[in-house]
Amino acid sequence: MDTALAALYLIADPYVLFIIVLSSAFGLFVGAMPGLTATMATALLVPITFFMPPVPALAAIVTASAMAIFAGDIPGALLRIPGTPASAAYTDEAYAMTLKGQAELALGAGVVFSAIGGIFGTIVLVTAAPALAEVALRFSSFEYFWLVCLGLTCAVFIAQDSAIKGMIALFLGLTVALIGLDNPAAVPRFTFGVTDLMGGIDMIQAMIGMFAIAEVLRAVAAANLRLPPPKPVSGPIFKGQWLLTKKYPVQIIRGSAIGTLIGALPGAGADIASWITYATSKRFSKEPEKFGTGHVEGIVESGAANNAAVSGAWIPALVFGIPGDSITAIVIGVLYLKNLNPGPTIFLEKPEIITALFTVFFLANIVMIPFGWLAIKSAKQILAVPREVLMPIVLMFCIVGAFAINNSPFGIGVMLVFGVIGFLMEDNGFPVAPVILGIVLGPMLEQNFVTSMIKSDGSFLFFFERPIAGMLGVTTLAVWGGMAWKGLRALRPVPA
Amino acid sequence: MKINDLVAGVVLFALAVLILVYAQTLPPMPGQRYGAAAFPTVVALGLGGFSLMLAGQGWRERRPDTRWIEFSAWAHERHTRGNFVIALVLIAVYVLLSERIGFIPLSIAILVFLFLRQGVPLRRGVTIAVATTLAIQLAFSDVLRVPLPRGLLTEILW
Repeated sequence: MDTALAALYLIADPYVLFIIVLSSAFGLFVGAMPGLTATMATALLVPITFFMPPVPALAAIVTASAMAIFAGDIPGALLRIPGTPASAAYTDEAYAMTLKGQAELALGAGVVFSAIGGIFGTIVLVTAAPALAEVALRFSSFEYFWLVCLGLTCAVFIAQDSAIKGMIALFLGLTVALIGLDNPAAVPRFTFGVTDLMGGIDMIQAMIGMFAIAEVLRAVAAANLRLPPPKPVSGPIFKGQWLLTKKYPVQIIRGSAIGTLIGALPGAGADIASWITYATSKRFSKEPEKFGTGHVEGIVESGAANNAAVSGAWIPALVFGIPGDSITAIVIGVLYLKNLNPGPTIFLEKPEIITALFTVFFLANIVMIPFGWLAIKSAKQILAVPREVLMPIVLMFCIVGAFAINNSPFGIGVMLVFGVIGFLMEDNGFPVAPVILGIVLGPMLEQNFVTSMIKSDGSFLFFFERPIAGMLGVTTLAVWGGMAWKGLRALRPVPA
Repeated sequence: MKINDLVAGVVLFALAVLILVYAQTLPPMPGQRYGAAAFPTVVALGLGGFSLMLAGQGWRERRPDTRWIEFSAWAHERHTRGNFVIALVLIAVYVLLSERIGFIPLSIAILVFLFLRQGVPLRRGVTIAVATTLAIQLAFSDVLRVPLPRGLLTEILW
């Protein structure tokens, strides 16, 4: 009870509420603007959150990311261009509805079921995270080693177009994590005498590069940045949503549950959740033939799923320090900066901050309804902001943001290098998220690996001796075995 | 820019070999068998293994007309190629010159340049560039206390 009151006191601060309003507007704008993503919104927020106490800093990230994922639906429905990759799965469907004169219903479903999915994910987060933390308190380096391995494997396994490219991306991230003094022996590695490299590569600067600079480069290289005029939205947005809720309860729950689960799996976030649930929606629909012709069912399910994933991703991030998606990869960096080291002990040491964080999640998903309505109604104005003006401004923000992390122009150089790497990777079908996961989890993996090897004196059998470690180890090896088998089968020549 | 899997695999394999060789030069932890070299070795082996698989895949899928490196549409067009290179160069220029010239003049110059490239009229471009720069300066330098480089304007403004 004391914790709840303390948390309420932290949230009720006018400053925190002001930050929530401001970051809602920021998230909605970034999400609605094609080419700017939720991850980019979060990465660009970090330099600003540096200067805030923990609760408003986390509130800003939670609110902006949830709003951005919803707002990605707006240009999807009105221009057939998804605002963020998380809306891509059902963009054609939403646009087909707009062409049928049902833009209001499509966008209304976007906002209402995003909020419901987000709240569902939050309820799971609030109940699952503390329970998991109880278990995790008993974990040793062996359990953490397998958990990180399993997490990294998930990232490749789920996000794969090509599993080989996913694995390479992951190992590239781990390679980046080798740089600097942060290793069990505290020996400078891969620093080549450069003092700026001693502290390692900053994850936020790398992310601004890979997620923001790569996009800016893609935009400036495009022949025409101007957006066509969006279709008008004039009717009531919430009309008919209650009927949809009554008609599709199974879809809402299934979308929210799958979304939360995919969010919680490392490396996969809202975009993958929405692709998978759009597919499940069609697979189990009574009217699958209507999909693609402007049918709202898939939007209901995957609209709920992508916002549920935003909340779900926080579960492993808070409990184990393993990010569920690229947004929570940034969050982990922010938590460390705020002296809130993620892990099971955070629930014991800072319960009021955790409760405040959970409250912000609920609040953000509730205010999404009025703010979302406002954003839909102002879609014409938002989408009229010229991208040829916006993109250079985003570039300037990236430069200043990367600089602000450690007040050094070197950080801008890091951002530039990772921007080019991210651009090249995307052009060649390498997923970017595993790189970030590798950078974040590299030090944790190394520490637990070396500690375990020292404890076991080099014997791998010790890695399976404790019950949970054994179970995690066997699961990880089974997944690896499955991947290897699949890989070998793919290598077999196809009979002509 | 599409790089053929065979080329990418070979380049990444070379990187893995370099990491492996470098890792063996790292000093051991006194009294321990596993130290600074253990993890880089594992990473190098993993990266090397998967790079070889990628190269193998590229080799199997090669055709007589396979191009090792293929440029995308924007790279063939002079204007868009220019935009891409200019964006990279401008960031590099900022890294090298920001301490000397300062945030305000460099930011205005970079923004105006990029706006003009994107077809924004000069007057409008200059106005937005100045307004944006001053807003960033105010927000980051004055409110958030980020020491944006002052450069040439140190004597004049501060």
